[in-house]
Amino acid sequence: MGPVVEVRGVTKWFGETTALDEVDLTVRGGDVHGLLGPNGAGKTTLLSALFGLVLPDEGTIRLFGRTRAQAGAGWLDGVGGFVETPRFYPYLSGRRNLAVLAGLDGGDAASLIDSALERAGLAGPAARQKVRGYSLGMRQRLGIAAAVIRRPRLLILDEPANGMDPAGIRDLRAALRRVAADGVSVILSSHDMAQVEEICDSATILSAGRVAAAGRLDALRAAAPDPVWRVRTSDDGRALSVATGLDGVKAAVGDGGGLVVHAAQGEMDSYVLALAAASVALRGLELDRTPLEALFFQLTDGAAKPVATTAEVTS
Amino acid sequence: MKRLGRVAGTFAVAALALLATSCSSSSNLTPDRLQPSLGRAFANLYALQQSEMGNPRVTSAALKARASCEKGGTLDVAQQGSGVWLCQITYLVAGPGYPVIAKYNVDLQTDGCYAADGDGPASVNGSPTITGPGYRQVINPLSLIDGCFDTT
Amino acid sequence: MSLAAEPWPAYAGATSARTGGVAGALAVWRVELVKLSGKIVIRAIIALSVIGPFLVVGFLHLQSATPGDTPFGQWVHASGFAIPMTILGFGGQWILPALTGVVAGDIYSADDHLGTWKTILTRSRGRAELFAGKFLAAATFAVTALLVLTVTDLLAGLAAGRSPVVGLSGQLVPAGHATWLVAASYLSDLPPLLGFTALAVLLSVASRNSVVGIGGTVVIGVLFQIVTLANLPQWGQQALLSTPFMSWHGFWGAPAFYGPFLWSLLTCAAWFAACSAAAWLIFRRRTIEAAA
Repeated sequence: MGPVVEVRGVTKWFGETTALDEVDLTVRGGDVHGLLGPNGAGKTTLLSALFGLVLPDEGTIRLFGRTRAQAGAGWLDGVGGFVETPRFYPYLSGRRNLAVLAGLDGGDAASLIDSALERAGLAGPAARQKVRGYSLGMRQRLGIAAAVIRRPRLLILDEPANGMDPAGIRDLRAALRRVAADGVSVILSSHDMAQVEEICDSATILSAGRVAAAGRLDALRAAAPDPVWRVRTSDDGRALSVATGLDGVKAAVGDGGGLVVHAAQGEMDSYVLALAAASVALRGLELDRTPLEALFFQLTDGAAKPVATTAEVTS
Repeated sequence: MKRLGRVAGTFAVAALALLATSCSSSSNLTPDRLQPSLGRAFANLYALQQSEMGNPRVTSAALKARASCEKGGTLDVAQQGSGVWLCQITYLVAGPGYPVIAKYNVDLQTDGCYAADGDGPASVNGSPTITGPGYRQVINPLSLIDGCFDTT
Repeated sequence: MSLAAEPWPAYAGATSARTGGVAGALAVWRVELVKLSGKIVIRAIIALSVIGPFLVVGFLHLQSATPGDTPFGQWVHASGFAIPMTILGFGGQWILPALTGVVAGDIYSADDHLGTWKTILTRSRGRAELFAGKFLAAATFAVTALLVLTVTDLLAGLAAGRSPVVGLSGQLVPAGHATWLVAASYLSDLPPLLGFTALAVLLSVASRNSVVGIGGTVVIGVLFQIVTLANLPQWGQQALLSTPFMSWHGFWGAPAFYGPFLWSLLTCAAWFAACSAAAWLIFRRRTIEAAA
């Protein structure tokens, strides 16, 4: 079976600005794919293009092997999700809003409304309340309920955890892992690599409209720079000199005291032991940035220069 | 907003072009359309007036009413277009069999409709009401004539 | 319950989403009508259309003066049929554009204002179906309102008195024929009403702003009435979308003439086609910006 989402060479200009520049993206069935980038990188534009809200100037987009022209009205068949904060009719209740959307969907969407609302934690009075009184988190949940009634086989979610409480975020994470196991594909955008690392199998990193890196997380990790640690010791000066003697450990004085150390896990272990051998006590050790976070910052800091990475999605 | 600007601009240009054509135009608001319409209306309404007053029945055809209209104003103006026209309607009264002239000030609009205000003689169209049988006061159908003719 | 507790509804193959085209547009039409019927403004307009004419009759009954400056005005106390014709002659040109503008000038731009285009465009209906369905809903409202007005104005007039009424060639029109002529006169305003509907849609789509959509339609209606006062050539007068509102004059002539009505069909068809096409061309490839 071919890829569920296939984006090839998509370019979009808005007047003088290039929002997307020759972007490629591939998502396989059952994958949870992260779309990462700082604000303004083009994540929302790309997701809008998948939904047909933005029409690319160049390139092709295929969902389930069909372009928008080929699929016609069935382009978003089995596709659910939202771009930026979901918007509804404020003068209608949550339930009525879903009824409106189910009316547009046809099929058996209307019969799924009750269970979708329960699932999203919006049953009872919340469902009857007008949406203008909803909090951000409630609107996100309603957005997910609106996706559930479409019987999705592809979920496109733009920062879905935005505005949710920690319990909600955990719940969402578990749900996405579950639906992925059931064969649903997911594209999840975020500016937070830590979130993506928790649940994604693969990722695309966007910077200033271009793809800076893409591939399965393992492969990206392999090409990533060393993780970054925050270290507090009894003698920072001695700790620094110990570091200079070790391969693969780069230490510098950090802001607000302590040291900032770039080292892979194995090298870090050696460093800790070396410190003890040099009679420097370790008072604190924290992982500040995972390898992928470090990769992300490296790629998205300053001008976008695509990293020559071997971490391509392989078929 | 650019799109709206373009739409508004198109309308504005079209409207101005249309207005520009009004300077040198030939319309169908001419005497040879106004006169027959007014004459026919007068004749019908005269018959109505006579029956409301309880007088012997008159057929509108027998009146042979003919209207003659001139666009108002002291200078020589083009005899066409909307505005005030002065009309005289000549008709034959049964019995005496002599021609009577009724005068009207006609306010003609661009859609071919007009309001003709009676300007004498007093007994015909000067008074807004007439007295019917049993001293009933009713509207004098000839004092204000609302009519329309085809401008296409 | 929570999002992860149970499997989500599984994809079940192509749904009725595939039946696009007319069936899809009708689905959108139904949804829009439901949304419209819940709005207070719409309910108020329909209620006013039903009781308004009877209020007008009552008002006229209470005074002896008659409306001037409009055909049939002088006869309102003499014949009930003059009342609906006076209302139509006096109000037709500006009430009807405003009436359709309230819905058609808002039905597209409301979604821009609320940011809900991205919600309804990401369901199983394509842009063409959404555009057509909303257009149909706006037209349905306009036609319904005019039909309600026709019936209630006629009933109010009949209640006031069924004496023959004086036509526009001074002829007396008996009650039976007058009833038909009143109904025909009102219905002859359907084409320009639909023309203004298309115009309001164009303003709504182009500006993405309901104030421009509604207000702009009213303003343009007034501008037409100002321009018509100039001595334009015949084709110029007929090109204005306000002229068709008065094409019923010919029905009341003796003999009746239908030239203005035929011209009005042409004018309204041209305006309708041009405005609808322009609105669609603007909408079909527009970028829907996600509003935060």
